[in-house]
Amino acid sequence: MLAPTPPSPRHFGAVNWLGLWTLYLKEVRRFLKVATQTLLAPVVTTLLFLAIFSLALGRAVQTVGGVPFIEFLAPGLIMMAMVQNAFANTSSSLLIAKVQGNIVDVLMPPLRPGELTLGFAAGGVSRGILVGLTVGLVMWIFVPIRVHAPLFVLFHAVAASLLLSLLGIAGGIWSEKFDHMAAVTNFVITPLAFLSGTFYSVDRLPGLWQTAAHANPFFYMIDGFRYGFIGHADGSLAAGIAVLAASNLVMGWIVYRMFATGYKLKA
Amino acid sequence: MMPAPRRFGAVNWLGLWTLYRREVLRVLKEYRETMLGPMVSSLLFLAVFHLAIEYGGRGGSDPVGGVPFLQFLAPGLIILAVCQRAFETAAASLVFDKLEGIIADTLMAPLSPAERTLGYALGAATTGLLAGAAVAAVLLPFVDLPARAPAAILFFALAGALLHGLLGIVVGLWAAKWDHYSASLTFLVIPLAFLSGIFYSVRQLPELGQALVTLNPVFYVIDGFRYGFIGTADGSLAVGTALMVAINLLLAFVVHRLFATGYKIKP
Repeated sequence: MLAPTPPSPRHFGAVNWLGLWTLYLKEVRRFLKVATQTLLAPVVTTLLFLAIFSLALGRAVQTVGGVPFIEFLAPGLIMMAMVQNAFANTSSSLLIAKVQGNIVDVLMPPLRPGELTLGFAAGGVSRGILVGLTVGLVMWIFVPIRVHAPLFVLFHAVAASLLLSLLGIAGGIWSEKFDHMAAVTNFVITPLAFLSGTFYSVDRLPGLWQTAAHANPFFYMIDGFRYGFIGHADGSLAAGIAVLAASNLVMGWIVYRMFATGYKLKA
Repeated sequence: MMPAPRRFGAVNWLGLWTLYRREVLRVLKEYRETMLGPMVSSLLFLAVFHLAIEYGGRGGSDPVGGVPFLQFLAPGLIILAVCQRAFETAAASLVFDKLEGIIADTLMAPLSPAERTLGYALGAATTGLLAGAAVAAVLLPFVDLPARAPAAILFFALAGALLHGLLGIVVGLWAAKWDHYSASLTFLVIPLAFLSGIFYSVRQLPELGQALVTLNPVFYVIDGFRYGFIGTADGSLAVGTALMVAINLLLAFVVHRLFATGYKIKP
């Protein structure tokens, strides 16, 4: 019998495309496998919010930003679902891997920090976009959604999902227990999402509230995204795009450094 | 000298008290998540509704149920916290113990099915009421809330807490994975709560909607609870009271049978 030839190391160039693609696929299949929780649940929750807010506020607040309240509300709710799910995807993936001990499966393969960042982030963005599409399509049954500026919709959807995916990676790496993650979600992400002008127009808010809103990155995500639908924005669109681009670059760099230094991942 | 078996009479008071205490303390230990969490989310809801109404549309809203909207909303937010906490306590406690394999510790104790029912249900209800009190404490500085019928407040709070605690036991015994637990929350408990008239008066709904709401037990909980504060109710309090007693007795019987037969816990 001939001895089998020993396996040779796989050669790859500047980018480990196969590794990157595999990581990305893992991240995507991970959430598709539990689609009931990851795609259906956001639809149900968002529809509930649509119902309660339009029933509770629909009489007091009839038009906002030049459109009926429900048309003002819908894009904000879609955006909220996208960002919360993008964040949940990456944060849960990393934290569960750390807690269960299989984070080593991600750290052992020959993936550079940039590839790790990109793989996880792209997985989160994919979930964000899929949730956005699913929620949007179902909402279309109840709300006349018209698209005024598709490029704005696309840019803000991707930028927001990306930013929250990156935040999720950072959060997932930093957290050591599920309680930490829950605290970040409940005390940081959710308040920022709620108080970002999803449910009301910020241009009528008094001084302090309005300043706080403009300091909130979520405001720009929702404002620009909503502009893409209804053609009306509360703040400056240019400022929004700049803030989102800058935030993504900063967060991307931070996450890259976290992977590069092995912060809380490698001893 | 050999240790003698502990003797107790018709009711194992010590065992019941221990089970009850454990259920309450395990929730209080995680007070950041279990008490502070609802406080923050209730404040967020209050803030969002206040901002949307004050600074949206016409700068103010018509009274709902005869009182300003925030007065109508606050009891709803309190009872929402009560019910959700009670359900989560009971369900999560059982699911956790089962999945960790430590349910045996509870099963080995000399507790009768009735004692188990009472221990879990009253423990869950207590944590629900505590969460409600925490939310009330944080909302009252912002909302001028009268208390026209304190007896109704107490009765419906307790009835709602018990209802959700017992329901939580049923779900906790049935669930085999955490996904089942999340699904029960997302697709059953939260929709029932949100669509029960917590955020809006059911009189605003079309006929079909109003008819469907009367089938929702949580409607009677919020209606009666809120009546205790603002003195008006959308439905019939007599029907509500009778239904609460009946449904709690029915659920208690079901839970007792589940414990007695060892449903999904004993082979």
